[in-house]
Amino acid sequence: MSRFYLYGVTRPREVPKRLETKGISLIAAGDRAAVVSDLDEGPVEATRRNLLAHADVVEQLHEDAVVLPARFGHVLESREELLELLGLPEIGRLLERHAATCELTLKGKYEESVLAEVGAELQPLRAAYRAGPSVEAGIALGEAVGQGLAARRARDESLVLDALRGLVLDVVVGEPAGELAAFDLAVLVERGGVESVEAEVEELAARLSPPLHFKLVGPLPPYSFVRLSAPAVV
Amino acid sequence: MNRESSAGYITRAPRSSGLADVLEILLDRGLVIDAFVRVSLVGIELLTIDLRVVIASVDTYLRFAEAVNRLDLQQTSDAKGLPDLFEKGGEEMAEKETKGAMEGGMDAIKEKMGLGGRGGDEEDDDKERSGRGSRSRGNNR
Repeated sequence: MSRFYLYGVTRPREVPKRLETKGISLIAAGDRAAVVSDLDEGPVEATRRNLLAHADVVEQLHEDAVVLPARFGHVLESREELLELLGLPEIGRLLERHAATCELTLKGKYEESVLAEVGAELQPLRAAYRAGPSVEAGIALGEAVGQGLAARRARDESLVLDALRGLVLDVVVGEPAGELAAFDLAVLVERGGVESVEAEVEELAARLSPPLHFKLVGPLPPYSFVRLSAPAVV
Repeated sequence: MNRESSAGYITRAPRSSGLADVLEILLDRGLVIDAFVRVSLVGIELLTIDLRVVIASVDTYLRFAEAVNRLDLQQTSDAKGLPDLFEKGGEEMAEKETKGAMEGGMDAIKEKMGLGGRGGDEEDDDKERSGRGSRSRGNNR
């Protein structure tokens, strides 16, 4: 009995040689096809190598055709299961929705100088800390800085969202991770719309940098826009 | 701020290019078909520990306080060269931050994808420590 590891779902097409030599194949049913590789018994190891390989496969295929990327670790126990999956009406709906879309991720992170900007309004606490840098004075100042930073983060996230809103089909707002992280967004755009987002990010950088750094990744397969049943991300 | 200087604040990558990029999108997002698919994983435990950012720890507060004080002192230590000094400091910081936290040797990692490139490991460790935001909703397992 063959087991399959699922990378994603696409339209029937040829598999690029580079992927074919890595054991990637397509199993087609009508106008839909699963991107799979054969899998031995046992669980899938979430190693760096396997995670990057998964991304490599779906991103390479996405370069010239629709791909609905699967979450890492999906295993189908038989060909029948796989065909049943391909037959789901939602799969057809998603393939149509994403026929010409791509995802861009945009993350913002502050450089440390943001703390000076936030701290500039906290003169009494700063003076108290400098006069006597006790733990208590440090916590009082640091807590106020943390609140100031949270407000700054909220402000900048809205500014960025407002600027992008007219250019994108959909947005997923993630939770920024890291003390100096500002925002973590995924946007869905038409393939032809990438450049306008790039231009807007340059405008935003002209307004908000320093202290804000932007990281824009893509065009990617619509990783954040293929949920079937789970509730929308935050 | 002209276009040229703002460009230094944008890191642009055409594809996800390091484990940090990939972890979030592959473990938390992507197509999930519960009824049909068995998620069968080992080695995920370390990656899914809930480390979401919480700016509420004493450590963080003390680090912020120290940083504000240090930046304060830098800014006021030389009244004469104030604008220059501050600008220079800002640029240096920008460079350091960009390299350390955002770029993470992006091109180098890309070339070494899957080969465990040195620069990539550092970035990955950072990212795992600092926690991933939206993926920690407990639906990864």
